[in-house]
Amino acid sequence: MNELFAFLVRHSKWLVFTFLVSVSCMLLFHNDPYRQHVYLTSAGRLASAAYKSANNVTSYFNLHEINDGLNRRNAELEAEIVRLNEKIGIMTEQGYTDTLAIDSGVKHFEFIVANVINNSIARPYNYLTINKGSRDGIRPELGVVDRNGVVGIVSNVGPSSARVISLLNPHFRLSCKIKRSEYFGSLVWDGDRPDEALLEELPRHTVFNVGDTIVTSGYSAVFPAGLPVGVVLDDNTDRNQNFFTLRVRLLTDFTTLSNVQVVVNNEADEIKALSAGEENDSKKNPFGN
Amino acid sequence: MTKFAIKYIICFLLLIPAQAIVFNHLILFNVAVPLAFIYLIIMLPLTLGTNLSTFIGFLAGLCIDIFCDTPGVNALCCTLLAFARKPIFHLYVSMDDDLAGRSPSSRTMGQAAYMKFMLTIIAIYCTLMFTVEAFQFLNFRLLILRILASTTYTFILLYAFDCLTLRNREA
Repeated sequence: MNELFAFLVRHSKWLVFTFLVSVSCMLLFHNDPYRQHVYLTSAGRLASAAYKSANNVTSYFNLHEINDGLNRRNAELEAEIVRLNEKIGIMTEQGYTDTLAIDSGVKHFEFIVANVINNSIARPYNYLTINKGSRDGIRPELGVVDRNGVVGIVSNVGPSSARVISLLNPHFRLSCKIKRSEYFGSLVWDGDRPDEALLEELPRHTVFNVGDTIVTSGYSAVFPAGLPVGVVLDDNTDRNQNFFTLRVRLLTDFTTLSNVQVVVNNEADEIKALSAGEENDSKKNPFGN
Repeated sequence: MTKFAIKYIICFLLLIPAQAIVFNHLILFNVAVPLAFIYLIIMLPLTLGTNLSTFIGFLAGLCIDIFCDTPGVNALCCTLLAFARKPIFHLYVSMDDDLAGRSPSSRTMGQAAYMKFMLTIIAIYCTLMFTVEAFQFLNFRLLILRILASTTYTFILLYAFDCLTLRNREA
């Protein structure tokens, strides 16, 4: 027993070293961003407190650009209000002859405004931290957008902060379509530039032009359909492949991200339950008989 | 020793948030990242037991990981680096020269040896970290560029930092 003890003491540095390396490797290969404990992420209490106090100072730096963006967006929304008012006018007239309420299907999505308190763009897997958490109604797997387009998806939620998987993270694939032609594919970041991503798995017969807008497809319960994501950048696709991959310039400027909105889909649970039911059915009866 | 421990803890509590809040955002050309917190491993005194210094290294890496959402990457690299610190040191300073509990600096080691020591540590760390990070998609050109640019950037930064604190100590 004494010898064993002496052996352990003599080689303690290797034991400690091996133990710490295995702990690190466990953290490293435990790869699922949704399964991490909230205190081991930037949404933890200490880390988010540090980021919040730093953000109190730095949030003033980009105000000019944000203001420009808001003005632009404001103008667009005003134009939209005018357009919608006209539409409502027409539809109310129709409503006299029809008993169905017009706005019964409109209130699926709500938006929670949040501030980005930490953001990275140069790592292979980028995350950002926002200053709203479970107390404000944030849950995992909610979509995050800013005034220009899609930002990411919430992964870990602390009481007053949450970590978001950025669009600049290969763990996140976003279902998108080309606005003009309705063909859809999957948008993923290739780890190269913070303002470009790839739209993959487009069918071979897809029709597109350089400069076409890419929008969300709305096939998942996370984002509403038609949110702007990016613009088609080049036309160097190999036409002999079965699937196209397009390079897309992202509309969201991840380098100056500050105000974002979290998209809450009131019907997400219903849609998820339905698709889970479908999966179970297909497991039971793979041939549908 | 107690004086040094207090100084070290203050340095730890300053450098980790500084890395997260300031240095992580001072990225040049999207490739060069300043990794200033490596100074925590460089400044550990050599008489400190390997067990303790490896653990301190791990702790520093883990804190950075929590702040930067890179689970395990920095913890692994810091552990390896803190463990390999002594052999690296003895590449440039012979075993006989005992430093009697002082942390490596240009005064205790000599300017040239200290610069080489610092550069080796930083180069090893950058190589390890960017390689581990690049496990998933390997872009070889970008990887080499990141390692070289970050090593140079961090070295310049830490050398400047060292010159400043040295002047303070002498004054």
